[in-house]
Amino acid sequence: MGARSRLLAKLKAGEDIPGTGITLRRAPEQLELERRRPLSYYRRVLYFCGKCGQCRYVYQDAYWSRVCPSGELRKFEAYYLGGKNLLLWGLLSGKLEWTSKAAEILYHCTLCGNCVQQCQLPEIHNYALEWLHAARVEVVNRGLGPMPEHRRFGEWVRREHNPYMEPHSARLSWLGEKPKGKGEVTYFVGCTSSYRELEVAKAVVSLLKSSGVKFTLLEDEWCCGSPLYWTGQVDVVEELARHNARELEKTEAAVAVTSCAGCYRMLKQIYPEVYGVELSMEVLHISELLLKLVREGALQPERELSWAVTYHDPCHLGRHTGVYEAPRQLIGSIRGLELREMLRNRRNAWCCGAGAGVKSAFKQLASYAASERIREAEETGAQVLLTACPFCEMNLREAAEKAGSKIRVLDITQALSYSIKASRSEASQH
Amino acid sequence: MWLEVRRELERVVGSEYVSSDPEVTFLYHWDFVTAEEPGVCDIVVMPGSTREVQEVVRLANKWRIPVVPWVSGVNIGGLATPRRGGIVVDLRRMNRILEVNEDDMYAVVEGGTTWGDLKGHLERHHPDLRPGVPWAPAGAGVVPCYLCYGFTDLSFMAGTGADFLNGLEVVLPTGEVVRTGSCMCTSYWHSRAPLPDLTGLFVGWDGATGIVTKAGVKLWPNLPTEYLILLADTVRDGVEAFKRVARKCTGILDMCFVNYTWLMSLLGYHEKEEDPLDPEEAGVQDFYGLIAVAASSEREMEAKKEAIEEAAGTGVLADLEAVMELFPEEARPQGYALVNPPIHFYNCWNYSYGGGGEWVGCYLSSRHVASYYRIAVSVAKKYGRHAQMYGRVMSGGHHWIARVNISFNKDDPSDIEAARRCLMEIDEKVRQLPSVVRYKAPSWAKERNFSRASPDSLELIKRVRRLLDPNGVMNPGHGL
Repeated sequence: MGARSRLLAKLKAGEDIPGTGITLRRAPEQLELERRRPLSYYRRVLYFCGKCGQCRYVYQDAYWSRVCPSGELRKFEAYYLGGKNLLLWGLLSGKLEWTSKAAEILYHCTLCGNCVQQCQLPEIHNYALEWLHAARVEVVNRGLGPMPEHRRFGEWVRREHNPYMEPHSARLSWLGEKPKGKGEVTYFVGCTSSYRELEVAKAVVSLLKSSGVKFTLLEDEWCCGSPLYWTGQVDVVEELARHNARELEKTEAAVAVTSCAGCYRMLKQIYPEVYGVELSMEVLHISELLLKLVREGALQPERELSWAVTYHDPCHLGRHTGVYEAPRQLIGSIRGLELREMLRNRRNAWCCGAGAGVKSAFKQLASYAASERIREAEETGAQVLLTACPFCEMNLREAAEKAGSKIRVLDITQALSYSIKASRSEASQH
Repeated sequence: MWLEVRRELERVVGSEYVSSDPEVTFLYHWDFVTAEEPGVCDIVVMPGSTREVQEVVRLANKWRIPVVPWVSGVNIGGLATPRRGGIVVDLRRMNRILEVNEDDMYAVVEGGTTWGDLKGHLERHHPDLRPGVPWAPAGAGVVPCYLCYGFTDLSFMAGTGADFLNGLEVVLPTGEVVRTGSCMCTSYWHSRAPLPDLTGLFVGWDGATGIVTKAGVKLWPNLPTEYLILLADTVRDGVEAFKRVARKCTGILDMCFVNYTWLMSLLGYHEKEEDPLDPEEAGVQDFYGLIAVAASSEREMEAKKEAIEEAAGTGVLADLEAVMELFPEEARPQGYALVNPPIHFYNCWNYSYGGGGEWVGCYLSSRHVASYYRIAVSVAKKYGRHAQMYGRVMSGGHHWIARVNISFNKDDPSDIEAARRCLMEIDEKVRQLPSVVRYKAPSWAKERNFSRASPDSLELIKRVRRLLDPNGVMNPGHGL
């Protein structure tokens, strides 16, 4: 539409907020606030919100699609960002009392940040995720949270270092022979791949072996702390961070890599920024490392898979840490894969619905969000839905199965692994 | 009683769509921009169909409790605030676009449809058509905007939102369902003519005469559009230039302007002491007009632009992109967004850091726009406030909109009070201009609006309302 198209293209060309994947069209004279502060610190800014409802829609893109799983399921304003902002203002101003209902509303959210991405009020856009998290800490401090399911897995993490009610001793039961000695790369497996999505862990190990990279695993890996941190159970996270950091440093690797988006965010962002736990090694998501290995020729995904695929951006990897392109480039490196983007992708990606304690405490929300994503993936005509996080993969796969969808849900490492394995086996046949 | 009411409402819409939890109802008490006095929402219900709305209204009559229609509650005058408590009927589940008739260029939408819903649907499925959209956020409602004479980016061409309505489906305050316009007697929603215009019973009544569950809304061809900026030293000079353009040029979709202060707030700057309270007096260029012009071909566009330039006379004309280049990079995006509403105009309400703002907005003759502005600036100056002015030429120039916004910190009672005094004085003084009629007026301005109306006219309004709502349940405290 002539000038309109040109102007909108300029509007959309924003800049990333450093340290996040959230993109803001910068605004003059926005307030600079501190991050990781208690809820009360943000009181004034909470009330800047006019509850205008922009947080319910993609702004100026993707046909103004809806973005908030929590709000779209429950419908009441309280479940959208605007409602939460003003609810928190009401609580902090003494206009409302802290109650278990307030706690339920505040926990009924995956903290995916899509709403935050869409709000153009700079102070909310920049900092809302800070207070949404601080609110959970406040709820815990007031004895109204976390939700019972969160408390249960929190206690288990303290005891057995994983949130899946599994024995710590079984963490590496999926692994045949543990790599010996030290490596250039340390694979931080994460709880979901260790106990639930074993195929992801196996694919990663297989790929690392195929690449010839010398790699190792932690001698004693504990939960990264992500499920506790995002449910406001922050008291134990520092201990987990320090333990894992010690274990990582023991490996003397140059790179720590993880296949879990949640672990990645913890190691990369939360450990240093919140707990001052700086790692001496580079932290990479597996998609970043594998892309590097493919480009260097250490991995050659040569077998044509002939799949139409679509890609789901995990929130921890995309909006929260800014890794959007490495997974896509990795998909592009696999012969025969045709990537068909979903309408809501990258910074506008609809959340899978699993994170921040939702899958355990709000099963209906987790299932609703994932089934909505499956429906969107199906619209692309893709046969395979790829993602880059075992927790997303698990929730999306369950939803696909429940819906009787023909779409197959896989982790990106599994697709690459098929391609490599196939090419090797083909090579051996020739 | 409320327990019983709740049970009955749950039976109608399902328990998941009824709430009387304070954490939920709290969000319906306020208009969270104007800081107008809060009301009380005793219970909120979200119906999913016209039949459910009917049931809810019948229950309200049975219990003789107020029923308040609601979509997003952001219409800036506290118009959706439940003034006498009762049941808030939140229509957000009724947000479907039921039909788009490409031949006759209209859409049939449900009463809870938002700008995001409608714009998104058309962009995706009917890109050759477009609605008229206000400078409102995506979450605001289409139908309430049109019912309240909202104005849009097509208002120069096509008038107020009310002119965009082809017909309505309404649940009356007594629970019956009526249809107005062509949909009353055909399956088409193409016009209000040539029937008795019952639509008027629901337009401009502030939701006090029924709950609109469906509306036929006009759409227009989505033609290539160019955006020109007309700059003038003063609002008076700019208004005269706009009048010349309006008389001589065709193909214009929209003509609107802001003053220096609104421009600054729009672009993301905040109020500072050194900013002039009277930009014109300080010698700052004070008129920034936007002209949107559509054409089917480049040749046609060039001819139209040439005609506009000639008609503008002394006004300086430039294209929007070029003007935006004059501003720092971080200030441009809001300018770019102007061309594709809905828009998140965050800074109009946050100019003084605090998220509060309220306006004195009027429909008026072009003769009084400049005087209106001078009055507003002089009063605001007396209070040490910056007057943000915005205006629009409506219906090909047959009348205008003028609006002055005063920002404040809504978390500071003394600031709210000071801003309110300023707004009230502006309201009182601009009302002396002979053509001024307030629109979307908050409760304190409502009665004043009718101070010069004839008693017979007022009595007719009251009689109509009593006829439609004998039990007085529909949105009491709003309307006249």
